[in-house]
Amino acid sequence: MVGTSLARRLKRVLMYAAAVLVLIVTAFPLYGIILTSIQTEPDIRSRDVAFVPTYIETEHYQRIFDEASGIPVAESMVNSLVVALATAFLTVAIAVPAAYALHRMSVPGRRVILGGFAAIYVLPTLLFVLPLFIAVVQLGLYDTYIGLVLPYTAFTLPFMVWIMGSFVRAIPVEVEEMARIDGAGLRQLMFRIIIPLLRPGIFAGLLLGFILAWVEFLTPLLFTSDLSILTVTLGLFRSTMDIAIGQLAAATVITALPVILITAIFQRNISEVVTAGVER
Amino acid sequence: MTPQAQVVEVRAGRTRRRGRLVAAAMAAPAVLVVCAVYAYPALSTLAYSVSKIDLSPRFRIEGFVWLRNFINQLTDAHFWQATWITVYFGVMLCLLTVVLSFLIALLLNKTFFGRGLLRVTVLLPWAVPPVASGVLWVQMFHAEFGFLNGLIRAFGGEGGIIWLGGSTIALHSVLVTEVWRWIPFATLFILAGLQIVPKSVREAAAIDGAGPWRGFRHVTFPLMLPVVVPVVIFLFVWAMKVFDTIFVLTRGGPTRGTTTLNFLTYRQGFVQFDFGNAAATAYLLSALTVVAIAGLGWMLSRSRRLAGM
Repeated sequence: MVGTSLARRLKRVLMYAAAVLVLIVTAFPLYGIILTSIQTEPDIRSRDVAFVPTYIETEHYQRIFDEASGIPVAESMVNSLVVALATAFLTVAIAVPAAYALHRMSVPGRRVILGGFAAIYVLPTLLFVLPLFIAVVQLGLYDTYIGLVLPYTAFTLPFMVWIMGSFVRAIPVEVEEMARIDGAGLRQLMFRIIIPLLRPGIFAGLLLGFILAWVEFLTPLLFTSDLSILTVTLGLFRSTMDIAIGQLAAATVITALPVILITAIFQRNISEVVTAGVER
Repeated sequence: MTPQAQVVEVRAGRTRRRGRLVAAAMAAPAVLVVCAVYAYPALSTLAYSVSKIDLSPRFRIEGFVWLRNFINQLTDAHFWQATWITVYFGVMLCLLTVVLSFLIALLLNKTFFGRGLLRVTVLLPWAVPPVASGVLWVQMFHAEFGFLNGLIRAFGGEGGIIWLGGSTIALHSVLVTEVWRWIPFATLFILAGLQIVPKSVREAAAIDGAGPWRGFRHVTFPLMLPVVVPVVIFLFVWAMKVFDTIFVLTRGGPTRGTTTLNFLTYRQGFVQFDFGNAAATAYLLSALTVVAIAGLGWMLSRSRRLAGM
């Protein structure tokens, strides 16, 4: 009797030890960059690495939003915000009707289309980027918002159609049949029934589209060079050439923060999307 | 058939045709965008891969060179070095991520105080933009004032490891960064799978006298294979496409030690501006990915049959 309760207690201790270990390993790099961003430059560069902050220095955060700093962080955030919002809305606007048509209506060749959308994802992005780079330059879209929004949208679209498809399939067919019996046309069906029912999916899709565009790095790296169209991720890379580590850390925190907040707040929705994928 | 029925039939046919047209119109924008941004470029890249291309002063296809670009790659020691690095990186990423995620998922599947907090924390690395995760791991790996060496010194060690210095150690440092980044996705996926595998099945195994290890080996693991294999497929595809982390951490160095095929394509295309060879490399990488996925897909269908799904 005593033996089993001791074994059980040992098991619980081990479990909590494992939980703490996992917590530290996953969270430490994030903690580290925040810690770096609030220390003075000499302390960051000291061999005696501090693991617990003894003071909070906000200078780096003020500096990166300064006009005088080399990297226009505030401007790059506006750029990324514009591009990410445009991408999110455009992608969802194209993906929702397509997902509905492909899953609930008879589109000729729907299997090929859906299969093609999945297959694309397997291939390396650079396979498509080489000619796109030429096209973007020739069409005069280099260093423009459109030159970023179009590739972002296209890169996100196949995935978005799949995600929206899983939400469309969750709508019971009976609901649609009932609406049809009541004499609803396609337009009414879409705007009165389907889109309201899809609202959680559309919301998840907008979040996803925003995040994917916000973190995109390869496209701005290759399709832009001007500082006036700098995105946050590219700004981060450009500032890695800088020598102020504290400012780099602060910029990293600022860049990651919106995405981390969205994920933390909506982690339940994100889990749902993944879970839907498993059950399929 | 009565004339009336015929009329109805014709009408039904017409509505059906009309419905199909509307459906096609709704799907058309998505299909067109995908064709413009994937199908057309993929074909262009195919054309580049058998061409000699001049980029200065402006883009021009100079001529047809048959398979010269492919032969260039296949006879180049750097290409094969990149290939082995890519395969090793892909296999290790899948292996480490799946094993660690499985363990974390098993832990999260239990009830304990603070589980909710741990769930959110485990998810967080996923939310960090890849470039940002590159930057924060640079800070971890820094030889002089990085946190890892600081930690080693705090425990009385030398703490002078140059994490991004040698080609082998740098490759593994990149690997650590990527594993850290993909654990959230894999854990979430496997956890969802664990919650589907009925607990009663595992309890039945326990009652039948199977210890925890045998229960895992003979019951949980085979049942989980149909969930694990898709995770491996996703991870492998991502491993083939890793770019941001390598770019920020090592730029493919030192001495090409972290140059994967994807990074080699980038270098050939946008550093050397040799689009012909870059296109050939991109296609060879695609072939490698497709073959690996085909193999994993075959495993998936087998595991599904074995699990009786």
